[in-house]
Amino acid sequence: MTEREKGELPGFVRALTAPSRLLPLGLVLTLALRGLAKRRPALFDRLGEHARRSFVIEPSDMAFAFVMVPDGAHAEVRTVARGRAAGDVHVLGPLLALLGLLDGTFDGDALFFNRAITVSGRTDALLALRNAIEDAELRPSDLLGLEGRAGTLADASILRVVGTLQRLTGLQPDGMPS
Amino acid sequence: MTLELVCPAGTPSALRAAVEAGADAVYCGFRDETNARNFPGLNFSAEELHEGIRFAHRHGVRVLVAINTFMRAGIADAAADPWKIALACAEDAGADAVILADLAVLDHAATHHPGLRLHLSVQAAAATPEAIGFYAEAFGVKRVVLPRVLSVEEIAVLNQAIAVETEAFVFGGLCPMTEGRCALSSYATGRSPNLDGVCSPPEHVDYAQAPEGTTARLAGFAIDRFAPTQLAGYPTLCKGSFVAGGKTSHLFEDPVSLNAAGLVARLAKAGVTALKIEGRQRGKGYVAEVVRTFRAVVEAVETGRDPVEAERRLSSLVEGGRQTSGAYRKQWR
Repeated sequence: MTEREKGELPGFVRALTAPSRLLPLGLVLTLALRGLAKRRPALFDRLGEHARRSFVIEPSDMAFAFVMVPDGAHAEVRTVARGRAAGDVHVLGPLLALLGLLDGTFDGDALFFNRAITVSGRTDALLALRNAIEDAELRPSDLLGLEGRAGTLADASILRVVGTLQRLTGLQPDGMPS
Repeated sequence: MTLELVCPAGTPSALRAAVEAGADAVYCGFRDETNARNFPGLNFSAEELHEGIRFAHRHGVRVLVAINTFMRAGIADAAADPWKIALACAEDAGADAVILADLAVLDHAATHHPGLRLHLSVQAAAATPEAIGFYAEAFGVKRVVLPRVLSVEEIAVLNQAIAVETEAFVFGGLCPMTEGRCALSSYATGRSPNLDGVCSPPEHVDYAQAPEGTTARLAGFAIDRFAPTQLAGYPTLCKGSFVAGGKTSHLFEDPVSLNAAGLVARLAKAGVTALKIEGRQRGKGYVAEVVRTFRAVVEAVETGRDPVEAERRLSSLVEGGRQTSGAYRKQWR
């Protein structure tokens, strides 16, 4: 199976996103996650004891991975070079499939059955995170901390870009390439 | 005759997705060992159930609460008994019915919550007129969820002999064992769906990645190995791949999903009242797509329209990438 067939980003999009590794993404996402915990604490209740575990989220079409500890007000996200990340749980898959999990567009089990993502480590922690995210119905504005018109605009424009890329890569709602 | 579509919800957002996609009823459970989908991060608090029921009722949809594991022996403090608390919470929240399996839970519900409508869970494995008659007579059970071991013809004969409604699974994960009696998960991990609400508890599941593929282990037992391009299934012992008699095969059951969309008209004719979709452990993407598809299937059957291509629409959501009509056609007997 080629990379393109697995629903990964086309080459020109990867090239466009390459400079993002130079951004302080870890810091931005840490602040976003802590802000989210402040606004919606119930979202983190579903994680229970697993909130303190470290989750390595590795987009297979990016140059780096995220290491996340979703511990509410103490949440933390770091970016590390791909292949160097260690944690309790490891999830590997195309960026757009992982984003689809975040907003509930894609079904996690279907992604797993179809081998669009691979997982290892603490399966119980991964399930807790998947189910917590599923229930959260997250939108870009939740992470960005935007409300009202600004939030609506951010959701519409970001989701339009992601949807276009998902169609471009042939990803369907189950995470399978068409 | 109108068929009732009973749909799964593991979270409040899945409940809303099921309602919006066309469910007639949604089933869900509490966040503890009282329900047979007791997985981390899943299920409802008492408050979430209240809100979920309010939302469903506003849309004319019923909510059924699964309290379908077997009560633990030796709970000294009745006030701290999770099954009794669950029954009281379900009634308080306005549940339209509770889905029960254990004799003790049924007895407590019938005695202390006479206003609750009782459904018999598939976990009770009641498949004969005698067994179903007993539950109806002793506890006033109004509906039986049928075990997934009966053919359509057997269901038709059964419905002639009983005085309660029947609910038949039409989509989702298949349990090849006598439900409520399976000890495979318990044998390997010490925990079972019957007593703890978890089959293959995730803390015992491990996926080891290697260039040749993924090895799935349950409590240290290697139960399957998937090549990188091979479709995968759930890490349950019943669907594992084992060597026996010198041959490697899925000894008990292939990793496939039930899809009885093509049999809905025959199930209706056999006297089935409700069609059940499995999958409380699945995401709202799955719930929405499967419910929408089966809503279209039911409408097509009831109005005599062309059949819906349900197998094609749902092919990529199923375990192992394969679908079966299961025991309904009993080609395997």
